[in-house]
Amino acid sequence: MFKRMSPAGAERARHSLSLAIGVLAAFALGAVIILATGHNPLEAYGALLKGSFGSLRAIGNTGAKTVTLCLTGLAMAVAARAGMFNVGGEGQLYLGAIASSMVGVWLRGCSAWIVIPCAILAAVLAGGFYAFIPAVLKAKLKVNEVITTIMLNSAAILFCSYLVNGPFKTSESGIAAGTDALLPEYRLAKLIPLSNLTTSIFIAAGLAFIVWYMMRKSVTGYEMQLTGQNERFARYMGIKTDRLAIISMIVSGALCALVGMFEVYGLHGRFIEEVSNEFYFDGMLVAMIMRYQPVGIMLMSVFFAAIEVGSASMELAAGVSSELVSIIQSIIIFFMAAETGVRAIITDRNARKALIACAVSDAADGGESNA
Amino acid sequence: MDERAAVEFRNISVRFPGVLANDSVSLTVKRGEIFALVGENGAGKTTLMKVLYGMNRPTQGEVFVFGSRLEKYDPAYSISLGVGMVHQHFMLVPSFTVAQNIVLGREPKKSGVFYDKRAAERITHELIKAYGLEVDANAVVADLSVGAQQRVEILKTLYRGADILVLDEPTAVLTPNETKEFFDVLRGIVSEKGVTVIIITHKLNEVMEISDRVGVMRAGKLVGVCNTNEVTSQQLASMMVGREVLLDAVERSTTVGEPRVVIKDLNVYDDRGLHVVKGLSLSVRAGEILGVAGVEGNGQSELAEAITGLRKIASGVVSINGVSVSGLGPGEIRALGVSHVPEDRLRTGVSAPASVADNLLAGKQRDNRFARARIHRRSASISRYVDEVKTQFDIRAAGSDVAAGSLSGGNIQKLVVAREFSFEHANVLVICQPTRGVDIGAMEYIHSLILAKRSDGCAILLISADLDELFRISDRIVTMYEGELTGEFVTGETNHYEVGAYMAGAIGGVNHDV
Repeated sequence: MFKRMSPAGAERARHSLSLAIGVLAAFALGAVIILATGHNPLEAYGALLKGSFGSLRAIGNTGAKTVTLCLTGLAMAVAARAGMFNVGGEGQLYLGAIASSMVGVWLRGCSAWIVIPCAILAAVLAGGFYAFIPAVLKAKLKVNEVITTIMLNSAAILFCSYLVNGPFKTSESGIAAGTDALLPEYRLAKLIPLSNLTTSIFIAAGLAFIVWYMMRKSVTGYEMQLTGQNERFARYMGIKTDRLAIISMIVSGALCALVGMFEVYGLHGRFIEEVSNEFYFDGMLVAMIMRYQPVGIMLMSVFFAAIEVGSASMELAAGVSSELVSIIQSIIIFFMAAETGVRAIITDRNARKALIACAVSDAADGGESNA
Repeated sequence: MDERAAVEFRNISVRFPGVLANDSVSLTVKRGEIFALVGENGAGKTTLMKVLYGMNRPTQGEVFVFGSRLEKYDPAYSISLGVGMVHQHFMLVPSFTVAQNIVLGREPKKSGVFYDKRAAERITHELIKAYGLEVDANAVVADLSVGAQQRVEILKTLYRGADILVLDEPTAVLTPNETKEFFDVLRGIVSEKGVTVIIITHKLNEVMEISDRVGVMRAGKLVGVCNTNEVTSQQLASMMVGREVLLDAVERSTTVGEPRVVIKDLNVYDDRGLHVVKGLSLSVRAGEILGVAGVEGNGQSELAEAITGLRKIASGVVSINGVSVSGLGPGEIRALGVSHVPEDRLRTGVSAPASVADNLLAGKQRDNRFARARIHRRSASISRYVDEVKTQFDIRAAGSDVAAGSLSGGNIQKLVVAREFSFEHANVLVICQPTRGVDIGAMEYIHSLILAKRSDGCAILLISADLDELFRISDRIVTMYEGELTGEFVTGETNHYEVGAYMAGAIGGVNHDV
C-alpha cells in the first residue's frame, strides 16, 4: 500500500492512518457506550462539537486549552528527542507559576513592561533550574531521570503548597491557599471576552515556532536526535551528548514553567494551589501519541483540547457524563500504544536481523538494501 | 526419495519485500557429510538455512528432513526433527555455568518441580564425553574463551537432539590454532556419531580443509555444488563473485614518514574495571599500516577506544600528531585528525534508527558547507553531498532516508567507511575489524580504500582478528594478548602460524619498544 512512497514518507503515512483509525474507533466505541446508557450519540457528539467550537467563547476556551497542551507536549518532545524522559513537567510548571506570581507580588507598583518580562524570566529560571537537577544527575552519575523527575514533582508541588499556606499566604479572605492577587494591569489581556483565551497564545505560538525550528531545521536538533537515538554513536561522532541532554531538559523545564506562568497571569490572577490539574501529563500523552513530532503535537493539542472543553457542554446538553471524553482519549491512546507495540516487535526483528546480517555472511533478509 | 538424504530442499524461493532472497534453490545434503555453503553477503545462505530451521517461511517449494516434509515453519518443529543451528552470536547466559546453559529450557527436574543440579552436571559430562568436546561443566560461561563458548553452544544443540548441525560462520571468532582444533572435533562428531554438518562460511581455505562437498550461492541462486576435492578455492571464488577475483598480496609501503601516533606505557580498564591494556607502547608512522593481530577480547577494542577518546586513559600517554589526547573528548580528538572505524558497527558505527543521510553527515553537521552560521541546516547541500558519497562508495540503500539499520552488513560497513574516510583533514585512521562479515567484493574494495589512504600519507592502525586481512595489507604486524604486545613482525618475514601462536599467547614476551 505504501510501496511507492519514500520509506520515511510511508512511515508517516502509516502512523497517520493508524491514528485516524484509532480516533474513529474511539468515537465509535464511545457511541456504543452512549447508546448503552440510553442517550443519542449524534446528539451527544453534536453537543461536544458545539461546546468546543460552537461559539466565540467556546473557541476561546478550546484555544486556551490548546496552548497548555501544546506547550507541555512540546516540552516533553524536546527532552525526549535528546533521550531524556522528563516526567517532572508538573513540578516545573508549579515552580514557574509560583516564581512568576511572587515576582508580580514583590514588584507590585512597577510598570507591567517590567513585571511581565521579569515574571517570564523568573518562571524560565525556576523551571529550567528544576529540570537541570535531574539532567545533571543523569549526565554525570547516570541516575535514571524518570525516577528523579517523578519524585521532584511531589517535592515541588508540596513545597508550593507549603509556601501558599505559610509565608506567601494571602491575607485576603475567601482564598483558601494562594498568593496575593496580581494587579489587574499585570494580567494578560483576554482576546475573547468571558473565555480563557489570552495573549499568551501569541507567546505560545512564538515558542512553538522556535521549538519546531530547533527540532526540525537546526544543527542542534540534528545532534539532539542522534543523541536520543544512539547516545554512544553520538559521542563517538564527537557530539557533546551530556551537554545536549542537559540543555534539552532545561528547555523542557522552562516551557513547562511558562505554562504555569500563563495560568497565573492569564487565568487565575494569582498562584493558587490547584494551578495545574496534571496538565503536563496530558501534554505527555499528546507528545507520545504523536511520537514527539512538533507539528503533530500542535495539531493533536487542538483535538484533545476540543474534546476536553466540549465535554462539559455534552454533559449539560445531552446528559452524557463528561467522563466519556476520558474513555475516548483512553481508547485512542490504547490504539496508538498497540500500534507502537506491534511496530516495536517488527523493528526489533529488523534489528535482530540486521545484527545477524552484519556479522554473518548473509543479509538477504535485510530487505530494502539489497534490491 | 534418496535414502541417504539428511536434508532436501526442493525448489525453495523466499521473497522479502523488494528482494528475492532465495530463487528456486534445490539442494540435497547427505547423511553424515560436512557440507559447506559459501557465497557473498546477501547471496541467501543464511536465508536458506533459516528456512530449514523454521525461522523463514518459503514463498515456494518444500523442505524434507530425513524424508519427512516440513509441515510448518517453526523452530520448535524443526528442532523436534533433529535440526540444530548455532548462530554466530552465541546465545548463552554469561552468568550461568556451562551445565546450566546446556540444559536451559529442558532442565532435568526433581519431583517435577525443582531444578536438578546434579542431573544437569551428569548430563553435561556425558555429552562432553560422548562428543569429545572438552569444556569444564562447572565453569561460568563468562569466564570461558570464545572457542570454549562455541563448544558449549554446540553441546547445547546436541543436547536438544540435533542430528543435523547448522553452523553459521563458526570460525569467525577463532584463532587459526583454535580453528584447527575445532575442525578436529567436528570431524570426530561426524565420523563417530553420524551427525550431518552444514557450515556457512566465507573462508575458502576452510571450505577446502573441512568439507566433503560445497555449494556456492550467488544472488539467491545455487550456482553450483561440487565435491570439494574436485575444485580449487580460486574456482570457488569466481563462482561466488561471478568474475575473477584476485586477492593478491599488496605492495608494501615505501614512503614512511614521521610518527603520527605515539603510545607509551598505556594502561586502560574496561567497563567492569578489569585491567585490559597493560603498559602498551607502539607507534604508527605516516604512510604505514600497522596491523594489530589478536583474538577478540584481548584489549584491542579498549586500545582503540582509548586512542579515540571513547574510553578513559588510566595512565600513560597517547599522542596524536604531537598532541597528548589525555582528557580530550572524541570530538576534540577527531579535530586532531583522527578518524575511527569502530568494531561494533551497529552499536557504535552507525545510529541504526537514523537515516542513511543522517549517518553520513555526522561529524560534518557544523561545517559551513552544511550549516549556515553553524545553526541552520542547509538541506539542499546536505542531500547533494549524501547522494555524492553514496554513489562514490557504492552504498546500496533503497533511499537516503531509510534507516541505516535496515541495510545489509556490507552496506552498513561501507557507510561507516565512507563517512570516516571523507574527513578531509584526517591523517590518522584507527580501523577495527573493517571487513568482518562483509563479502569478498566489498572486502577488496575496503582494502583498496585503506591502501589509498596509506598512499595519501595517513598513519593507519588496523585492528583485526582476520589474519588473511592483516597479512594482505599491513606493513608491520604486532600481536596482542591479554592486554600486552607479545610480538612484532614485518609482514613479509613471517607466516600465519607464527603470528597465530603469538596472538594465542603460546609464545612471546612483552615487547615495549615497537
